[in-house]
Amino acid sequence: MKKFMVMLFSLILVFSLAACSGSSTTSKSESDGKEKAASKNEKVTLRIAWWGSQPRHDYTLKIIDMYEKQNPNVKIEAEYASWDDYWKKLAPQAAANQLPDIIQMDLSYFSQYAENNQIADLTPYLDKQIDTKDTNQNIIDGGKLGDKLYGLNAGVNVLGYHYDPALLKKAGVESLDENWTWDDYKELAKKAKAAGLFVDTGVKADVFFNYYLRTQGKSLYSKDGTGLGYKDDKLFVDFFKMTSGLVKDKAVPTPDYMAQVKGIEDDPVVKQKAIGIWQWSNQFVGLQQVANRPLNISNMPGPDSDKGLFLKPSMFWSMASNSEHKVEAAKFINFLTNDIEANKLALGDRGVPGSAAVKEALKPLLSPAQQQVFTYVEWAEKHSSAFNGPDPIGAGEVIELFDSLNEQMSYGNLKVEDAAKQFRQQAESVLAQNKK
Amino acid sequence: MRIKSVKWWTYHILVGGFAVLMLYPVIWLLMSSFKESNAIFVTAKSLIPDPFILDNFAEGWKGIGGNSFGVFIKNTAVLVIVTLIGQVISSSLIAFGFARLEFKGKALWFGLMMVTLMLPYEVVMVPQYIIFSKLGWLNSIKPIAIPAYFGHPFFIFLLVQFIRTIPRELDEAATIDGCNTFNIFYKIILPLIKPALATAAIFSFYWTWDSLLGPVLYLNSPAKYTVSMALNMFLSNETVSNWGAMFAMSVVTLVPVFVIFFIFQRYVVEGISTSGLKG
Amino acid sequence: MATRVVKEHVQESIYIAPVSARKRAIKENIKGYLFISPFVVGFFAFTLIPILVSLYLSFTKYNLFSAPQWIGLENYKKMFTADPRYWQSLKVTLIYVFAGVPLRLAFALLIAAILNTASRAVGLYRSLFYLPSLIGGSVAVAIMWRNIFGDKGIINLLLELLGIPSVRWFGDPTAALWMLIFLSVWQFGSSMLIFLAGLKGIPKSYYEAASVDGANGWHKFIKITLPMLSPVILFNAVMQTIGAFMTFVPAFIISKGTGGPLDGTLLYSLYLFLQGFEFFNMGYAAAMAWIMLIIVGVLTAIIFATSKYWVHYESEGGK
Repeated sequence: MKKFMVMLFSLILVFSLAACSGSSTTSKSESDGKEKAASKNEKVTLRIAWWGSQPRHDYTLKIIDMYEKQNPNVKIEAEYASWDDYWKKLAPQAAANQLPDIIQMDLSYFSQYAENNQIADLTPYLDKQIDTKDTNQNIIDGGKLGDKLYGLNAGVNVLGYHYDPALLKKAGVESLDENWTWDDYKELAKKAKAAGLFVDTGVKADVFFNYYLRTQGKSLYSKDGTGLGYKDDKLFVDFFKMTSGLVKDKAVPTPDYMAQVKGIEDDPVVKQKAIGIWQWSNQFVGLQQVANRPLNISNMPGPDSDKGLFLKPSMFWSMASNSEHKVEAAKFINFLTNDIEANKLALGDRGVPGSAAVKEALKPLLSPAQQQVFTYVEWAEKHSSAFNGPDPIGAGEVIELFDSLNEQMSYGNLKVEDAAKQFRQQAESVLAQNKK
Repeated sequence: MRIKSVKWWTYHILVGGFAVLMLYPVIWLLMSSFKESNAIFVTAKSLIPDPFILDNFAEGWKGIGGNSFGVFIKNTAVLVIVTLIGQVISSSLIAFGFARLEFKGKALWFGLMMVTLMLPYEVVMVPQYIIFSKLGWLNSIKPIAIPAYFGHPFFIFLLVQFIRTIPRELDEAATIDGCNTFNIFYKIILPLIKPALATAAIFSFYWTWDSLLGPVLYLNSPAKYTVSMALNMFLSNETVSNWGAMFAMSVVTLVPVFVIFFIFQRYVVEGISTSGLKG
Repeated sequence: MATRVVKEHVQESIYIAPVSARKRAIKENIKGYLFISPFVVGFFAFTLIPILVSLYLSFTKYNLFSAPQWIGLENYKKMFTADPRYWQSLKVTLIYVFAGVPLRLAFALLIAAILNTASRAVGLYRSLFYLPSLIGGSVAVAIMWRNIFGDKGIINLLLELLGIPSVRWFGDPTAALWMLIFLSVWQFGSSMLIFLAGLKGIPKSYYEAASVDGANGWHKFIKITLPMLSPVILFNAVMQTIGAFMTFVPAFIISKGTGGPLDGTLLYSLYLFLQGFEFFNMGYAAAMAWIMLIIVGVLTAIIFATSKYWVHYESEGGK
């Protein structure tokens, strides 16, 4: 008898769920309505989520403590996980309208969440709860999609060549000039090979080709995200002939060599097998710490490196559309990015802070390596051009495809000219789905 | 004084040797947990840690974000025990129904059960998540533990196959003696499938212990995380991963699983000699 | 006198028979459903709707965030005609299953048979062989495996010792797939355990009788062990096949989520995950899942259908 009751109950439950699952997409709009800041005595609970590893978890929790002490009516529940687990969690939460109020967001997923209204427009909170007076407009605009601001830049990143000056000298080059070119790079590669070293560890296809295109006044994706941003395949051929040629000449390691690198401690630069590595500025400190010897940052090669360089938001703080405490959430986002004491705990782990005031306050506390990064980014602020914005929807597939073609070119399995054509054909078919 | 025969030696050398070969990766894991974190992959070829340090264990135990690793172990233990009990009990009841009883629609339900086994989890994941979200079960172990009490197809199938190896004469004899159906289940069949039950218990234990996707989806507060999620948090793709702590804690979390296995495997092995009943 | 009583009784029982037979059938039905009711309830509560929803989604374009758009058979069409990666993942998975499952079962059965003695060391050996399975599909295992198969890892070292040229496990798509297959076979412990449980259920008297008849070890294995074990072999074959098709974590970690090199380790589940959660093509992923269900279902049905010929159930009079 009991079992029948249970069965009956579940059937009722199930049918009522079926009935109300249809409303899941509409409940979001309810929380977009007007909302005033919580009064001093009203208790508010915010959920915040981020990815990272232990050090980041530790200092972020301290920042949360700090804020809670200053705002006793606010309780913040922290949800944090590793990179892989984080995105696995977030997607179903979004589907069920259960996203945490404040979300750490990455460029690669940005468009997906923004264009589907999972994260809220922050423009109404700018210069009210969120302070922008000390921050370069270029930096703020990094979070814009169309004319809405979907995320606040949590830290700035710039591309560069991070290298060991001692190994550079070993290859017979004294130093790298600010205005060095791709030809200089090819020379360096030859010298490195002669000295028994790799010149670098390869390039991430989409990132660095995009840089190259920008120096030519083009870009990887078209402005509306429905196709590629360049028409001449010769650009593709020139760039990748260079990169795959270097692999063939053994000046750069093969993809399977790199596939076995487990982490930073295994990196060829750390092991003194390669002179340098192409990566983002916020990866410099980690590398230098493990290498445990002086390393330098050089800007990207030209010509026209100013046109090519851009200030990329390393990550964003976004607000969930289903948040019921948007004003409070905005206040905390402001605290995270602009509060000086909070940033003293973070010390640029999430990227170089956008606010000049914060940067100044942090400088005396920085280690030499961190100083190098801050200096480089400040220099880049004056030697870069506007960021193209987040990758369009479908970029994930395009990048996968690109990496695969790059792999084949590096192994010599695919001619660069053919790869150029394949890339255009397949990437455009993916991006064409964005045509409205 | 017994002199071991050649057969004995051959057996042990071959089997033992093979065991060692098989275990090399595990031994590597164990030894690595005693090495300095940065040195683990550099000295990968040598099994001997030099220097031999216990720091990884201390550091790993500190856990993440103020939660000592003991917390994660406790969370996992609770989840595992609750799930294990549910899965084994419900699956044996259900298996008995499929294996011994005749009822209309049996083939249909058996087929449905096999179908649920074959559907990849990724796809039912999101709709199930929404259901559990509406039930308010998010951020708890309920979505993982409660369904366990409704049977798990793998165990149901396993037990069905085992029950089918038991001759029906036993059931018939019991009926003549006045047993009702439930008694047949409880007094006759259940004791005879002890090896299978023990096997199911072992599987249930370590599958749940190692499971990742369920906890990732349904546990939001790090204080509720299980061991598998905690281990992942030692890794990082932005900075250096803490391999030492991760390996050390992996070793630590292996111990309960191994112990449970060791205890239960005796039941798998002993079983019950059925020569008297079957002969 | 007696015959009249008997005749009355017989008449009575014939008269009652039809009614009680029906009643008995209903009672049987109720009993049956009572026992399987947990499954039935759970199915309706947690499984039915998600399954139906996923079927519906396979006919839509759905990115998890906005409402699904109906596109009919587009996903299926794309899968079969416009997606070479799909065929690659299918090919890779089929190789994985058809190479890995038999190897795994063979090892499991062999070792289980060898360990099915009463010596004291056996308990220890059993645990040791089972250890790899216990570690499961965890991240630590995958990392460890990557290390062992590295260019300068232990496996290549061994190969060189044996005079075989070292293999670029990470550079060659086929070799990389075999890396995964070896990982799966290495974890044969779970199948072994099930075989052990089954072996323990074979009465010793059968073997003793066979010895009396002059059978040697090999004969005993073929004529007694295999047939008596066949329901368990069936179980393992089915479960391993299904499990192999769903393998995800090892492929994900070993290839760092790419299915590389050159899609050599792009197992079906991995590709499904990429489509659903990296590219947010949930509709397409759902379609992939249903096709996988059909393939696995067909394979399972084939295994079951052929089981008539080689599986022997003691409880059902056997062959």
